Amino acid sequence: MGRWLDFESNPWGQEVLQGVSLELMYLAIGLAVLFVAGHWFWYRSRGFSEHEEPADVQGSVAGLPERIVRHTLPSRIFHWTMAASMLVLLITAFVPLLGLEFAWVTIHWIAGAVLILTIIYHVIHSIVWQDFWSMMSMGAKDFREGLGHFRHLLSSKSPEPEKPGKYPFDHRMYHWGIVVTSLAAIVTGVFMTLRIKTPFWEPNAYYPLVDQAVSGLNELGEPAITLQPGAATGLVFVLHGIAGVLLILMVASHIYFAIRPDKRWFTWSMIRGWIDREHYLAHFDPDKWSVGDGTIQENPPGGAIADSTVSAPRVDD
Amino acid sequence: MAEKLIGTDIAPQDLVAKITGRARYAEDFRADGMVFTKLLLSPMPHARVRGVDATRALAMPGVIDILRADEVRQVEGRPAEASLTDEPLYEGQPILAIAAETEEQAAAAIEAIEVDFEPLPFVLDPLDSLRPNGPNAYTGGNRFGGGEFSELKWTDADFEEIEAGRMPNGEAAVEWTKGDIDAAFSESDLVLEESIVHQSLTHHPMEPRSSMMYWENGKLHAFVSTQSAQRTKYAIAGMLNIDPEDVILVAEYCGGGFGSKISGNTHMEVPAVFSRKIGRPVMLRITRYEENYIGRARPGFQSWLKMGFMADGTCNAIDLYIVQESGPFGAGDFNTAGMIADLVYTPQNMRFRGIAMYCNTPPKAAQRGPGGAQIVIMMEPILEKAARELGLDRLEVHLKNAPDADVGFGPRNSTLTSVFAKEALEKGAEIFDWAGKQELSGRREGSKVTGIGIGLSPYTAGSRGYDGLMVIRPDGKLYVHQGLGNLGTHSIMDTARPAAEILNLNWDQVELVWGDSSRGMPRSSVQAGSQTTHAHSRANHAAGMDARAKVLEVAARTLGGSPSDYDMDNGRVFRRGGGASMTFAQVAERAIELGGKYDGHELPDNIHATTVPAANILAGQGLMGVARDNYGGSGGVYTWVAGFALVELDEETGVVDIKEYVGVTDCGTVLHPRSLSAQVLGGSVQGMGQAMTQRWVFDPKWGVPFANRLYTARPPGILDVPLDMKADAVGIPDPQTPVGAKGIGEPPVGAGGAAVTSAVADALGGRCLCRTPLTPDIILAELEGLDKPFHLEQHIG
Amino acid sequence: MAIIRDMIPAFELVQPTTVEDALAAMARYGEGGWVLAGGLDSYDWFKDRIKRPEAVIDLGGINELKGISNGQDGLEIGAMTTLTEIVRHERVRSEYILLADAAEHVATPQIRNQGTLGGNISQDTRCWYYRSGWACYRAGGNTCYAAAPQAMNREHAIMGTSRCVAVSPSDTAPALVALDAKMIVRGRRSSKVHDAEDFFIGPATDITRMTVLESGDLLTQINIPGEWANAHFYYEKVRDRGSWDFQLVSVAAAFKTSGNTIDEARIVVNGVAPFPVRLDAVERLVTGVTADEALATEAGEIAIQGSRPLKYNEYKEPMMRNLVRRAVRSVA
Repeated sequence: MGRWLDFESNPWGQEVLQGVSLELMYLAIGLAVLFVAGHWFWYRSRGFSEHEEPADVQGSVAGLPERIVRHTLPSRIFHWTMAASMLVLLITAFVPLLGLEFAWVTIHWIAGAVLILTIIYHVIHSIVWQDFWSMMSMGAKDFREGLGHFRHLLSSKSPEPEKPGKYPFDHRMYHWGIVVTSLAAIVTGVFMTLRIKTPFWEPNAYYPLVDQAVSGLNELGEPAITLQPGAATGLVFVLHGIAGVLLILMVASHIYFAIRPDKRWFTWSMIRGWIDREHYLAHFDPDKWSVGDGTIQENPPGGAIADSTVSAPRVDD
Repeated sequence: MAEKLIGTDIAPQDLVAKITGRARYAEDFRADGMVFTKLLLSPMPHARVRGVDATRALAMPGVIDILRADEVRQVEGRPAEASLTDEPLYEGQPILAIAAETEEQAAAAIEAIEVDFEPLPFVLDPLDSLRPNGPNAYTGGNRFGGGEFSELKWTDADFEEIEAGRMPNGEAAVEWTKGDIDAAFSESDLVLEESIVHQSLTHHPMEPRSSMMYWENGKLHAFVSTQSAQRTKYAIAGMLNIDPEDVILVAEYCGGGFGSKISGNTHMEVPAVFSRKIGRPVMLRITRYEENYIGRARPGFQSWLKMGFMADGTCNAIDLYIVQESGPFGAGDFNTAGMIADLVYTPQNMRFRGIAMYCNTPPKAAQRGPGGAQIVIMMEPILEKAARELGLDRLEVHLKNAPDADVGFGPRNSTLTSVFAKEALEKGAEIFDWAGKQELSGRREGSKVTGIGIGLSPYTAGSRGYDGLMVIRPDGKLYVHQGLGNLGTHSIMDTARPAAEILNLNWDQVELVWGDSSRGMPRSSVQAGSQTTHAHSRANHAAGMDARAKVLEVAARTLGGSPSDYDMDNGRVFRRGGGASMTFAQVAERAIELGGKYDGHELPDNIHATTVPAANILAGQGLMGVARDNYGGSGGVYTWVAGFALVELDEETGVVDIKEYVGVTDCGTVLHPRSLSAQVLGGSVQGMGQAMTQRWVFDPKWGVPFANRLYTARPPGILDVPLDMKADAVGIPDPQTPVGAKGIGEPPVGAGGAAVTSAVADALGGRCLCRTPLTPDIILAELEGLDKPFHLEQHIG
Repeated sequence: MAIIRDMIPAFELVQPTTVEDALAAMARYGEGGWVLAGGLDSYDWFKDRIKRPEAVIDLGGINELKGISNGQDGLEIGAMTTLTEIVRHERVRSEYILLADAAEHVATPQIRNQGTLGGNISQDTRCWYYRSGWACYRAGGNTCYAAAPQAMNREHAIMGTSRCVAVSPSDTAPALVALDAKMIVRGRRSSKVHDAEDFFIGPATDITRMTVLESGDLLTQINIPGEWANAHFYYEKVRDRGSWDFQLVSVAAAFKTSGNTIDEARIVVNGVAPFPVRLDAVERLVTGVTADEALATEAGEIAIQGSRPLKYNEYKEPMMRNLVRRAVRSVA
């Protein structure tokens, strides 16, 4: 514990949690590098192609357009704004710790505010105009699907896994990871921002109700200060720190997969918005990700565009 | 003819020792096998020690032992201080002590001790404790009376106006009235009302309260820093519950106390008990940092004042309410402040209300002019405002309201031996050229505005009934044994002058014996409350008269005739009109031969019991003069100082530059003009610091003080006081004391401070800032009309 | 750990006589080494046992770091030159009185005899939360105790803050920025020259130090360029006491003038931010303009734009405004 977490004396000499240690950041960076390198070597050693997997087109292309819409413009705007703010957050958080000094705090909290706004936008957008549950739901069946996929990756002898719907298991897992970690980072980050000067409020180093909650009764039944002052602050910093280093890991692996040649078609879809028919048929189960007649409707009903045509079956059946 | 001693400048005997560094203060003493002890201080303002793990500390090199709270005297169930405690009531209160071969080892060991503290709720500001759900300084409550703790809270209604900076007037603990204030206010031509805050500030004597102690043959040898000497010996004996004659006190010099070391201090117990425990001499050197905590402080006031004036400037009524920040163990300043307000302005109608609140701040104690200094510093700006509104001269208003000798004041209608306050005001006004300086008041040059001010400050300055003890030895010299402390005021030397004059001796025929109880100390006053000049000029006068009578008797018994046939001068006793004579050396030898009362083998019945052992030490060494001050008298002995200041206030920076100061005192007969001047001006400078620069600051969240060092506490420096300072005295003897001299220590503080606060109010055109210290930020905030965040806060920074 | 103050723990004392030896010693001890100039800041830290260096590298024996000499352009002042020497130096007094004035406002004569120019500008802040050894941001912790709503922050910053609100304590720093001084910093391998303005860094950049100096860096020399010699100067420091006190607010300004017209100006305020603040906007305002009371008033107003006081230091706004006003007024 002592290695990964920092403790400090509060002004009363009580040891309180202070935050995560620098070692934890180095550990996360090290793990990210190890993972990327390990995956790359493993992938090569398995003899998988470094290049885009040949589209194993099954089924008819009849009725399908050449370009299948995967990410609508609003989704893509969200993704890249969020990605940009996340990168800015990570860079402003960790680069100064690595020794390159610049005035990072203001950029950091503004990027955080941008991230919060994009997430609010994303949540509303996905609930109202997208199939929220297609991304969020995780049932036993999904885990079986994921496991099958994983087995197949490890051993080509294992049966060919089922094809997924629009969002494969690993994407949804990653999404969940990002949701939990980012929310942790955001909630703690907001608490931390209360401590610094912004145009919205005066800084307050002490959290109301928590750090100020000094009344309680001791074993003699007398008023006493029950919570170590400063302890709540430390907890916030630790959670923020842990979320931060997890985000290093997740973002690093995300970028790694995004730029891998065999996955680049996913990346392109986040830029261009569509995948081609061959990829669609090769990697997805049209039953789970129905694109209807495939025509791109310029003015779909409900004001949304093609995502609304996705009708993934509920998998938590 | 022997030289005239009273009223002349004579360099004090210890001057060379002090200048050359030969003077030995408590921490300069060493003893064989001496070890050092360090204190572990509480990091919290209020806590309970749940456990102490000293295992690691005790295993460290050089560490000898630990001393815990249960090994020292504890008083349970009431607010009382112990030298070590397991329930600290302020940040910095000593918890335990470690002894080691070296001080560095002791310090390192303290750092290695793990103490499990349970933090308890605390309060720093008395108004917070009075709030309906406010915290209490003690777990049992915020008040103590009738043997138990209780809780006193004001109501929400009381606090309604506080945010606007108006002082609430909730339930008081002390109240007295005279006359009919309501009627008086309604008939007054001018009624002023203000809320005023006076800060708390530490004593910060140059020498911290270090002490070294060891036991030898059942006797405690104590080397301490104390204002008093003979009384400290008894205080130590009482503290350790031992026979006073088993205490050998060495206190040759004291580097200042200002009321914080009156008869030693609580923490002298640590080396005494520790030394007894480990069988080795123990030195406790107190650092500046520790002194800040355990070294005492002046209580702060938050108060509300209403004053009614008649058109001619007569102060018709005063309604004064003081809430006092009393630290964890209490203080009495607020009561004195009420009396002094009555004494200075002599209203015929007055109500005083007050409440002293325990707080978890370092302990409070008398600080030079306790209560009096605060109240005159707070009230003078109101007087300035009143005079301005009534179109009167402040000097006239003061002269109209200042008391005469027939004054009766305070709740018990106290009387005084003499009052020459008006004479002090008039003489001061003349030296300062008050009339001529009127035209400078309000003068503007660029951003600088000139203001002039008056402060009138009285304080107790004497007591009665102590003993004098002296011996003419066979070397022909008079040895005056002083039981006072050597606080640097010179009274320990100067009060011997009456005896020398009575015996017609030159000053080089007088030796002073002080600072070591084994050499014999008579019953003495504490060196506090400006008592000593009055008390011991009387006691030594009495003992001198006794010695004189005995010299004459010895001469008569030896050379024939009656004592009245003889006179003495310059160390000889001779028959008037010529004939036989004896030197004092011969007289001393003869007295030893005669024995009995002459050489101290027989002592007067009326001397104090604690003088007897001292006289016994000296019996047989020569001709002994020993007597009690039976001169009597009625009424309190008060000295007055009238202070006059001229300041320049820079409206663009808030900086106040004190340009001129005059202090004139009514202190009766002047024993030593140069020393008096040092006291008047030194005390005034202390008051200027109190009014202008010195502060103490606490973080409200953690209850921890800042401004703990001299540079952050900011007592005034040489550039903060005027180059042009003058002191003088009225010089009229007090009629009730044979020498006519009164003390001087206390009142200059209020005079210096009040003259400056009054001058600042004048420069501000009659605006009362109503809080001290008047630092540039506070003045600028007022001038700029900023929303002041410090309305009634006691500790700010 | 229980707290003990006022007792210096033992350390190894290294007394090099050349800059090379000092740099070698600094490299040898790394973070455990402490560079000692006059000691007035250092010994406070040591006495309080908050900073406990393994070794103290005392620059007092390095003669090449002492003294004032005429450079090719202006003056070259060794970092270990005492403040008293600066105050008394003939050429400093005749051509750069701004620096002499600023140096003379440091603390007391005794401290100026001991304190050095390099030390005065490299000293740490006097925020009492930080100096009490509290684990604040500047000390590597996660809290600014001084910015809390109820905190005692009368002496703290009203601008340039970032989490930490401590102020730069140096009296000579604003004068050096106003004179466009150059700081020569030697490292183990290379030497760098920093403009005085860039030498002081704020908490936004690095919250744990006040200058660009990092472990292994040694400030060796301060060059005062001839550019601003004999300019019109204004220095003023407001403090609580007349001596032995840090500034509440101070101003150091240099003006090149033609008659009452300001041709060029460098105006610097200290005590309001974690670093000496150069007032670019005010400089722009006054350049090329004839100084009068109206200009001074406007300069003062512009100077405090964007300031954000804490609970107890709102007075610093008018104080700063008025000092800037007075600086500009001094030209009129």
